[in-house]
Amino acid sequence: MSGLAVAGYVFGLMLLLMALRVPIAAAMFSAGAAGYIAQGGWAPFAGFLNTQAYARFASYDLSVIPLFILMGHFATQGGISKALFEFASAVMARFRGGLAMASVLACAAFGAICGSSVATAATITSVALPEMRRHGYSGRLATGALAAGGTLGILIPPSVPLVIYAILAEQNIAKLFAAAVIPGVLAMVGYMAAIAIYVRVVPGHAPDGDQAGAMTMRALAGVLPIAIVFLLVFGGIYGGWFTPTEGAAVGASATFVAALLKRELTWGKFRHALYATAEASAMIFLIFLGADLMNAALALTQVPAQLAAVVTAWGLPPVGVVAAILLFYVALGAVMDELSMLLLTIPIFLPLVLGLDFGMSQEMVAIWFGVMVLMTVGFGLLAPPVGLNVYVVNGMARDVPVAESYRGVMPFLATDTLRTVLLLFFPAVTLWLVKFVR
Amino acid sequence: MPLLERLARLSALLAGALIVGVALLTCVSLIGRNTTGATLAGDFELTGVAAGAAIALFLPWCQLRRGHIIVDFFTARAGARTNALLDRFGALVLGLMLALIAWRCTVGGLSAWRNHSGTMMLNFPEWIVYALMVPPLGLAAVIAVAQFARGLGEVAE
Repeated sequence: MSGLAVAGYVFGLMLLLMALRVPIAAAMFSAGAAGYIAQGGWAPFAGFLNTQAYARFASYDLSVIPLFILMGHFATQGGISKALFEFASAVMARFRGGLAMASVLACAAFGAICGSSVATAATITSVALPEMRRHGYSGRLATGALAAGGTLGILIPPSVPLVIYAILAEQNIAKLFAAAVIPGVLAMVGYMAAIAIYVRVVPGHAPDGDQAGAMTMRALAGVLPIAIVFLLVFGGIYGGWFTPTEGAAVGASATFVAALLKRELTWGKFRHALYATAEASAMIFLIFLGADLMNAALALTQVPAQLAAVVTAWGLPPVGVVAAILLFYVALGAVMDELSMLLLTIPIFLPLVLGLDFGMSQEMVAIWFGVMVLMTVGFGLLAPPVGLNVYVVNGMARDVPVAESYRGVMPFLATDTLRTVLLLFFPAVTLWLVKFVR
Repeated sequence: MPLLERLARLSALLAGALIVGVALLTCVSLIGRNTTGATLAGDFELTGVAAGAAIALFLPWCQLRRGHIIVDFFTARAGARTNALLDRFGALVLGLMLALIAWRCTVGGLSAWRNHSGTMMLNFPEWIVYALMVPPLGLAAVIAVAQFARGLGEVAE
């Protein structure tokens, strides 16, 4: 059997199992194991498996993931979101649709200490949604803005998907974080512009004017812990004092202390943070292991290498190839979550992209491509039929039909598309900050 | 509280404490390194091995909570009974996967013990990490098989 046929069977088996609701990690693992054994036999497979779980789990580089997740959950449980939203409202209330903009701003600020989009969306929704509804915002605009704002959680550093990309692509985490900053800020500004336009063009979704909440000392004090933790973590990483893993450890400890000082962190909430960290980390690492098997089996077929050679030989415009890959991610994002997509496809697509000539160093191409992919998988968090963020936010707004929430994210998806196209054609915008990282 | 749930909770909290411990230890090490210059040699190796044990210890709880992501796009229109049946099949596949990993980790751990393999700087014995990984992997496999046999219930936190 040719390598291409084996690769086809392996992929087909994986997709079949996934369609039958077998957890993604197990679907990848089973298909990969079958492909590995069919090509290499049992003994090499068994030998591979003897050490693979240890190699994946007991890895210093990967330990950054549970640490950033723990940091995010301490932040979620630490009761900083309320003060944060008060602060954001005081800043934004002068504008029409100001509370929706404040939700986006609060998501962006929370995203600076939390690397998960769902956690960001859920945390800010719990404080911002009741306020927006109380002030007469429609369910459509309120849930749409919060679901979109949540995606800033993975765009603005720290970002768990970006860490995973960095590890897969063997790139510097600090540089990738730096590359995500400008796109993250552009996303935030784009979302706010979308709100400003939407409330003017489509009347009846926001009150005519919000009462400008005064900037209180309490609100200011509320953002202080976030600012300190962010400066500590990223100042330390970019100042060369510590590695990203150490930064995550410092961030988790500092967020823990901040939550303790706020007297918000009860024993119950502390336990909740640990349980939630356990669930998210175990889920990610088991997908890692499944994807390892899948990629090992595919590597044996040599199809990924051939694919890269074929695409390079076609001589397509490099930007066109990347655009095609991004479109593929948008489609795949309709059925798959972002982490599984990254783990499954980056080992195949990255060599292909690195083989193209963009007139930049390979490192810069890898960093730019990572940010592009990160933004594109964000589409899957918002767009129907899945749109995990929409589900999470809508689940907390009992009176809003889910179709209304999907309608609400449309303006935000439009700005996402605009931004993605812009950054696709102008990589320099993304890469500008990277120059300053040593 | 059923035995499996109690064990899974214990395992997750133990691992959580381990990760919190790693975070705090790292801070101590950093303060030392950036002030007095005193370094905890090879602290990153301890972080790695602790994370290894912690990730495995996280697995039973994730299994119990049905935390592993599935694609429900294609079966969204199928009936609740069909989906429940498919989910039990999925739990079985996960259970077999976890059991296979637990078995191979046992073999890998025994060979690490025989060869006295250790980490690069501290020579921390690798078999200890394997020994901490195998029981939770086995527990997660047992939970998955129990979910297959009894059907998947919701477990509240």
